[in-house]
Amino acid sequence: MNDLGKGNPEFRICDFWLGLRAIIVKDIVVELRARQVLPTMVVLGMLIVFILRMASESALTGGAGPVLGAAALWVAFLFSGLLAQERSFASEQQNGCIDGLLLAPLDPGTIYLAKLLANVIMLTIFEVVVVPIVVVSFNLHVTGGWLHLAAVLLLGNLGISSVGTLFSAAVQLTRTRGSLLSIVVLVILMPMMIPATFALLVLFGAMSGQTQTLASVQGSGALAFVGSFRAAVGYMLAFDAIFVVASWLLFEFMIYD
Amino acid sequence: MRRLLFALAIALLIASTWIGLTQGQIVPVQRNILYAHVPNSVCALLCFVVLLAASIGYLATGRQGWDLVAAASAEAGFVFATILNATGMLFSRAEWNVWWTPSPRLVTSAILWFLYAVYLILRVSLPGSRHRNPRICAVFGIIAFLDVPLVFISARFIPDIHRPNFSFDSAWQTAALMLGMAGTAVLAAALIWLRTSLLRSRLKLEEELLQ
Repeated sequence: MNDLGKGNPEFRICDFWLGLRAIIVKDIVVELRARQVLPTMVVLGMLIVFILRMASESALTGGAGPVLGAAALWVAFLFSGLLAQERSFASEQQNGCIDGLLLAPLDPGTIYLAKLLANVIMLTIFEVVVVPIVVVSFNLHVTGGWLHLAAVLLLGNLGISSVGTLFSAAVQLTRTRGSLLSIVVLVILMPMMIPATFALLVLFGAMSGQTQTLASVQGSGALAFVGSFRAAVGYMLAFDAIFVVASWLLFEFMIYD
Repeated sequence: MRRLLFALAIALLIASTWIGLTQGQIVPVQRNILYAHVPNSVCALLCFVVLLAASIGYLATGRQGWDLVAAASAEAGFVFATILNATGMLFSRAEWNVWWTPSPRLVTSAILWFLYAVYLILRVSLPGSRHRNPRICAVFGIIAFLDVPLVFISARFIPDIHRPNFSFDSAWQTAALMLGMAGTAVLAAALIWLRTSLLRSRLKLEEELLQ
């Protein structure tokens, strides 16, 4: 489908970057002008955080702040991320722009990567606003360092966006778009949330980041089997790599009729 | 042929139950649920392997038969995963006095059940486009399978309250478990076959009605 770059590898690479940049810039500019989804994401995230804060009042006095804070952070990311992902192909579908996008001399994988990066940028902006709110509401101390926190959040961000962007294109023609997308994305991300929660618990000082002995893991919950902070980051990296590569390869099956 | 398979499955399961109830009883009594629990967990995983193979087959060839096999194996796998979790919860309550606890294997079995449930919902939610829908389902099947090795690894290699390597006292117990495994596997094959042909005849009927 990419006849332009045939037999000329240099042109192909150039084509890839041009296409990638064009779609990302288009998505960001559209969002900045119309402000359709980012304000909704931020307010939804804040609402989730505040509702959890109010609901967990009695546990917070017992020192459960870091545990609830980590949960609130991931729940807010997952659900607000879904809004961005659903939007990323809904806007194309509603105005019939999807046909133009598919007719462009681009590899479907490139379209996927561009949409993914646009969603990652949106979720990153969201994180910049919501993370301080979570830290303040749950009275968290980032003992593991803000740089580590940013790295863990970015890894989670990439994983959440990768699956959501892939299935966003698929659910657009259904009657229950958003809710269907949410169950599809959440069920696939479930295993990834185990190391993701572990990493945040270590960073908030609720859990030791050192490798645990077998005896202490025995009989304890799923979180403990992650083992150490390094292992948690490793699992998240592995999930990200698998999901991004698999989605990049499989995307073309999702969009053509 | 299909009836023969169902008969064979029932015979094997009855033999397994009979030996389990007589010669092969395990003490304490709640551990006897293992004769149902273990075969169902193996078949729940096997059905996902079939689902993956059929999904890849559909994406590679575009033949509708693969899509129907994928749908049928998801339905059968959902039944096995439900029994797996239900028997697991009964055992957990009797042995550890809790219905559920977030140990790695219990979490991953729950994830397996959710993956099947979402696959089945996805199948009925997509609008009628003959080529795109099966492709979307196949992609979900493949991506979902990436989570499954985790289930298997956790059931084997991670130290846990849940013990995978059960040591038997007598050959009767091993025999009962093996008969149960064989019976459930035959049942799984028969169910996938039956559902595939039912789905095929339904599609044929719908096409005839449209004409």
